[in-house]
Amino acid sequence: MQRTEGWVIPSERVQYLEVPLSSFEILLIKITAGFYFGAFVLLLGDLLFSRVKHGSLVGVTAGVGGVLVHTLALFIHFTSMGHIALATLREAISFFSWSLVISFLYLEHQRKGSVLGLLIFPVSFGGLLFVLGSGVKAGPVKEGAGSLLVMLHSILIDLGLASATIAFFLSILYILLETLLRRKIFNTLFNRLPSLEFLDRLNREFNGLGFLFLTLGLVFVIIWSYGTSGTLWPWGQRGSWAFLVWFLYLGIVLLRLKKGFQGRQAAYLSIVGFLLFVVTILAVNLFVGGGHSVL
Amino acid sequence: MLRMTLAGVNHKKTPIEIREKLAYPKDHLNQVIRNLSAQEGVLECLVLSTCNRVEIITITTGNNPDPVFFLDFLKTTHPALSQINIAPYLYHLTGEEAVRHFFEVTASLDSMVVGEPQITGQVKEAYERAKSLGHTGLFLNQLFQRAISASKRVRTETAISHLPVSISYAACQLARKIFQTMGDKNVLLLGGGDMAQLTARHMKKMAVRSLTLMTRDASKGMALAREYEAIYRSFDEIEDCLSESDMIVCSTGAENYIVTPELAEHALAKRGRRSMFLIDIAVPRNIDPAVGRIGNVFLYNVDDLKAVVEANQKEREFEAHAAGVIIQEEIHSFARWQENRSSVPLIQALRKHTETIRQAEMERFQGTLATLPPEAREKIEIMTKSLLNKILHPAFQTIRHSPGSEELCEWTMKCYGLPESALDTPTEDTPRDRSADSAPIPFLKGESPA
Repeated sequence: MQRTEGWVIPSERVQYLEVPLSSFEILLIKITAGFYFGAFVLLLGDLLFSRVKHGSLVGVTAGVGGVLVHTLALFIHFTSMGHIALATLREAISFFSWSLVISFLYLEHQRKGSVLGLLIFPVSFGGLLFVLGSGVKAGPVKEGAGSLLVMLHSILIDLGLASATIAFFLSILYILLETLLRRKIFNTLFNRLPSLEFLDRLNREFNGLGFLFLTLGLVFVIIWSYGTSGTLWPWGQRGSWAFLVWFLYLGIVLLRLKKGFQGRQAAYLSIVGFLLFVVTILAVNLFVGGGHSVL
Repeated sequence: MLRMTLAGVNHKKTPIEIREKLAYPKDHLNQVIRNLSAQEGVLECLVLSTCNRVEIITITTGNNPDPVFFLDFLKTTHPALSQINIAPYLYHLTGEEAVRHFFEVTASLDSMVVGEPQITGQVKEAYERAKSLGHTGLFLNQLFQRAISASKRVRTETAISHLPVSISYAACQLARKIFQTMGDKNVLLLGGGDMAQLTARHMKKMAVRSLTLMTRDASKGMALAREYEAIYRSFDEIEDCLSESDMIVCSTGAENYIVTPELAEHALAKRGRRSMFLIDIAVPRNIDPAVGRIGNVFLYNVDDLKAVVEANQKEREFEAHAAGVIIQEEIHSFARWQENRSSVPLIQALRKHTETIRQAEMERFQGTLATLPPEAREKIEIMTKSLLNKILHPAFQTIRHSPGSEELCEWTMKCYGLPESALDTPTEDTPRDRSADSAPIPFLKGESPA
């Protein structure tokens, strides 16, 4: 047992975290991927060819179907692991894909903006392809993977990345619509996009949410680090990158709140923030390595 | 056999010079409908006369009236037309094509501005007129109901009516692309021209937070402000007004730029760089085009708005293809109704024939029956009727399930000894009931016009 007794899953239960997916889990992930791809194709078809008012409903329904199967797959995986397992890149990406689609469905419920689905479903589909491609390798136990604090950290960082991704997509849509408005191109895409104000407001909200998740995620991992090694700054380059991203998001939030940054400027900031987030994660996981594998 | 025929001229083939001569004045329409219904074989009729089309619909027995019938009718009702050859402009449709055309007209798919809502009201008016004169029957009633239903479906299931095709609506459409809601937006109208007034009306409908009017002529400005429940402010306050306004519509008669880049930049800074939407519908323009290059400022002139309208027109035409599927579904639904109606005359004839036999038999035994108590006579009456119904029930079911089957009709008539004339006998004299009980218009069976 580690020092944070009571917050740690017994070590024998997390001996081999990166176990291969069961055939049933693989089947569920394949079905989910099919749903997500179908949702993308249907939404694209609706945008390009359909002129029926609620044509996007079929695509959105496919997304709902996908997310239900995906939820079942995650539940089965977590049950088989005995805890919420997001310690490996495969698990984290699966959860990230799920979070993206959930966010899209929430936004779709708020206001019909199916164009966002055209960006989200391919990413979620790609994420699941990665999951399927890496689903047969077994790996060693990762430090702290069974700790409740690390689990919370992983969930929050995953949700933070999902929020940053949504904010990134909203920024792209903002710049796209603003360009169409400035160049006076009034085509089908123009008609399907929501208002600039709506996109800007959502961008602000998702960036704020992303910052909140990122902050809490880092707080939890600091507590865990202090509990296990007695230090607040144990990860070297990994920690430096993480705090760089955190400071950048703090900057975005402050520029928005204090300097009144909005519109195109805010969209650019959001894109930079997201890219740095992704670069950090890739750099940390692929090159830096470290004590635990946390997305 | 009933047949539907539609003939007329519209904006697609006929120039305005001819159309304006063919359009019936409203106060002549009743007489025109009476004249039409007086023509041989016409059971029901409807005349639609608008600035873009004159169309005549007839429901007749026997063969479809040919184009000459309609040409003659148009010439008779427009004596001044005798010198003009209108034959090249006239279209003549029968059966399914006529139904399709009527549905498309009602759903505004055949209009000059596709999706414009007025035509549906004009069709309703034409129908009500014919109905009030007693020249519609079950067929036209059903056709009209289904045309209205198709029109509603087209409006609700496609985006055809959501794409503005007028300059002032186009401005509102652009506003919705910039602002999420107009309920918290301040709108400033510079100038009191017709366009500004039209925009003011739309803005009131969009329930903006405040409407401010600014004109050089204070008395006119104040009068307009009262009319549109707006706030009047003088031109001296333009700097403050600009920074407070989210949307500015400019249509003054000034020959120089009223809103300059410096003024716009200052206003934008003062309002925390929140987006500003400016529309310059004045000619010559009142807003310096350089204003449109400032970040978070969106400037459109009258040509830009025309481009929105043109794009929407194209989109509407594209939407019309989707609407075609709805029209096709409604045509099939109407055809099914027609087929179901086709079994009615045979069932009625069969029922009448067997009832006659029953009554004759009751008559034959009248002497014997007279000796029985009234209760017993009544029971025998009920029993014979019930017996007849039970025997005929399977036959009626078979007829209902095979609508329009000529073979079955022939077999039934032969089997029950029905005379040839049995199907021709109308139950009542009015055109409405005659068409209700007659055979359908077999427009899905490729009936050709006479």
